[in-house]
Amino acid sequence: MNFDRFLPLTETTFYIMLSLLEPSHGYAVMQNVEQLSENKVKIAAGTLYGAFENLVRQKLIKAVATEDTRRKVYVLTAEGKEVLKLEIRRLKHLVNISGNVTAGEK
Amino acid sequence: MIKLKIFVDMDKEEEYLRSMAKKGYMLKSYNSLGFYTFEPGKPQELPYKIDYRVFKNKRDFQQYRQLFQDSGWIHVCGSTYSGGQYFLPSNNNKYSAEIFSDIESKAARFKRLSNQSIFAFTITICYLTAFFSMNGFNFGKLGYLTPGLWKKSGNAFWFALLFETPFVIFRFLPLILMLTLTVIYAYWSFKARDLYNKKKLAG
Repeated sequence: MNFDRFLPLTETTFYIMLSLLEPSHGYAVMQNVEQLSENKVKIAAGTLYGAFENLVRQKLIKAVATEDTRRKVYVLTAEGKEVLKLEIRRLKHLVNISGNVTAGEK
Repeated sequence: MIKLKIFVDMDKEEEYLRSMAKKGYMLKSYNSLGFYTFEPGKPQELPYKIDYRVFKNKRDFQQYRQLFQDSGWIHVCGSTYSGGQYFLPSNNNKYSAEIFSDIESKAARFKRLSNQSIFAFTITICYLTAFFSMNGFNFGKLGYLTPGLWKKSGNAFWFALLFETPFVIFRFLPLILMLTLTVIYAYWSFKARDLYNKKKLAG
């Protein structure tokens, strides 16, 4: 399967997928993204709900059954993990080739 | 107080609800035909936020509401199939002043409204097709059926005419209603699509 068509991920999608390495419900993802991004990225409820829907359609995440039926819990699929890895590789490459630009700055 | 208003543009609808709250009328319920029920109260600043979503089942709807509730929103009104979902920030909303955090997802409401309107339009077209094919595409059969009605005169004519008129109206009413809905849904699907295209660029 060709995963390259999913790349590059938007910043929001990247944070959501990174948060879903472990099964989480929506609000936990929102809090996690806020923390990971040092308060720079806040995903609002309506946006997150739509993002979940898109990622499920693309089969990058899936819903998992839990005891708490009031909240839907999602986790990355194997495909989702693969896409996330490819994206991280892509980002690392970008960082590697631009190492000199910020040299000397604090 | 009940008001009939039809909005395609949800940004303008939010603005309308805010202006009503400023005058002391708080939204209590909404039905998809465009009837807003307001409750009188203290005039106040209420930043209503509207999403548009139709859910597959009650459980999905409940989980959607839970996500909003967890992140500091009160679901004011809306149901599984109503489409419009109305929110107000709760007292412990520290998280976000908006229910959408990017332009694309905010504009996507209009895409969903447009798709839903196309769906409704398709249903009305199916109904009309079934309606006409049952009549053998013969409009004459919808009108006055009394044999020789137009040849009658005097009291006999008026009696027959008045007697049958309610039946004629009943035969035409569903048709007129459906035709109206067909036009409205067609208009909405175009208008909402247009708004989607504009708002995803402009924000």
